[in-house]
Amino acid sequence: MRRGMVIDLEKCIGCRSCAVACKQHNAQPAGTWWNRVVTPGSEFHAVPPVKGREYFLPVHCQHCQNAPCEKVCPVDATYRHEDGSILVDFERCIGCRYCMAACPYGVRQFNWEDPQKSMQEYGYLPGYTFGYPQEYRLNGRLVYTPTRPKGVVEKCNFCVHYLALGLEPACVRGCPGKARFVGDLDDPNSEVSKMIRDKNGFTLLREKGTKPNVFYLPPRRKEV
Amino acid sequence: MSKKSALIITGVLMLVGFAAWVYQFKEGLVLTNLRNSYTWGLYVSGLAFFVGNAAGGLVLSSLIYLFGVENLKPFAKIGALTALVNVTAAMVSIIPDIGQPLRLYNIFIHPKLSSPLVWDVAVLNLYAALSLIYLYILMLPDLTGRWQWLAIRVHNPKEFSQKLAKRLAPFSLVAAVGIHVITAWIFATQGAREWWHSAALAPDFVAAAMASGTAVVLAVSLLTYGLKEQYRQAYRTMSIIIAVSLFIHLFLMYNDYFIHAWYGAPEAMETLAITFHEYLWTHAFEVLAPLAAVILLLNEKVRNSAAAMIGSCCLLIAGILAHRFLLMPGAFGKIAFTINPLGLQDVYWPVPIASGRYDLALDTFVTEWHYFPSAVELAIFAGVVAFACFLIILAVDLLPIVNPEEA
Repeated sequence: MRRGMVIDLEKCIGCRSCAVACKQHNAQPAGTWWNRVVTPGSEFHAVPPVKGREYFLPVHCQHCQNAPCEKVCPVDATYRHEDGSILVDFERCIGCRYCMAACPYGVRQFNWEDPQKSMQEYGYLPGYTFGYPQEYRLNGRLVYTPTRPKGVVEKCNFCVHYLALGLEPACVRGCPGKARFVGDLDDPNSEVSKMIRDKNGFTLLREKGTKPNVFYLPPRRKEV
Repeated sequence: MSKKSALIITGVLMLVGFAAWVYQFKEGLVLTNLRNSYTWGLYVSGLAFFVGNAAGGLVLSSLIYLFGVENLKPFAKIGALTALVNVTAAMVSIIPDIGQPLRLYNIFIHPKLSSPLVWDVAVLNLYAALSLIYLYILMLPDLTGRWQWLAIRVHNPKEFSQKLAKRLAPFSLVAAVGIHVITAWIFATQGAREWWHSAALAPDFVAAAMASGTAVVLAVSLLTYGLKEQYRQAYRTMSIIIAVSLFIHLFLMYNDYFIHAWYGAPEAMETLAITFHEYLWTHAFEVLAPLAAVILLLNEKVRNSAAAMIGSCCLLIAGILAHRFLLMPGAFGKIAFTINPLGLQDVYWPVPIASGRYDLALDTFVTEWHYFPSAVELAIFAGVVAFACFLIILAVDLLPIVNPEEA
């Protein structure tokens, strides 16, 4: 079993619902985004690079099979779950940020200060909280908590706390274009494996040799 | 400047640095000028800098005990001392970079063996221990009077000391080369950062370290023994080692740049442009300052003045510090995740990263960040430099580091 994701860029409408759903469900501190959607080639956020022609690229942790972040972590706080996804133990992380230097995808984020404080700076209402309200432990390791400690690194955990409830990740459930699919990449007959085979699935930064578990299907044409 | 005032100045700087660290410990690394897209700065440059300065012990001990350069013998203890102090400073300098320093024990109870950082912690501690043992063995014959209680009883301390120092030399050589190579591997193993991902980085670290580490020993030797006739040959030997190491360092560095520049891949050119355009003056300094320093040190007239030699050593060390600082802009000044968007010709587009920090003037997602250390970072770094100077001055003053009959 190797849990992977396929994102069909043909179906992505660039609404950024996945980024918002991810941020809300996972109680991400102000300024932290596990998930982002970019418009490749644009000069500024969401502006088409060529007038009237654009495509959208959602980016989050690629859960690489050859994950540099996992290999550099000196304390095994970033580790590989048995389904292949890369998780961060919020109680173990020492905050050296080596993984952030190692990750070529820029998906890892640091709690530079106490998240409660940064919420105030961003002007959230006092006492306002959001997201999955409980801690989630996997074999005793804290892989999700709604209240992050200061000075630790975080990133997409493949919604491992929702997987335990039999639910798909928040970005998958929140996608109005139904562009995201989760499945077993080890099984050649799974829906995701078939899609990758039939629709020329590709990975990001192939030349870095990270072997991501997140695949993209190229758009047949661009938005007009 | 008297020893006392030097101790007071470095002591105060140390306290200021410590206070800055306590403040940062309370508030978080938000007090640095780092961002999600630019995660390492002066603290990590400091690690590389101090590790490099610790090379002096290796140069001295291996030259004396492996290659028989007898005239350097009076400075062996200074070599061991500066090695011990600098490797300690390297470990101290990295602590402020840690977001959760109270969890550092995890490195010992849950070490991940694939992490170069774990190897570095191991080899730095090993080198510190070896340097301490080395220093002790070399001091043993002189541990008399108020230090008597420290001395282990052996039949002939002098002979015992020399014999053991000779036996330890090969191990210290391996450990010393190890600290530079493994510190370099922290960076060089990272395929995400083209600026570091080079086979030239580890040998370059060794070369730069031999230059700056020997310069530290030379400066401290001049300060303690002065410019006496019987030491001139030894100072000349050290100057030559500094010069040759620096030339090798410059060769390795430009060899790497040249290969990338010739091939001209857009990503590599963009990486090189950071150093050669944005940081041109810093780059000029990292090359010209040490170059000027070794030209001065190789000049016999300059070697007639202790002040001029000490000044040259400081210039060289400052140049190497600039070199260590430049480890970061080339790596973080360009977004690693740069892609060629589908259907666009010759466009290389950096994928923006969540900045992670509130700033009215800043976008939520950023593609560039011009880093310069914050006041807190500078205060902490200055505190570590002061800590190293303080320890060296104190040790030279209290311990039998300087041979009384030769001073």
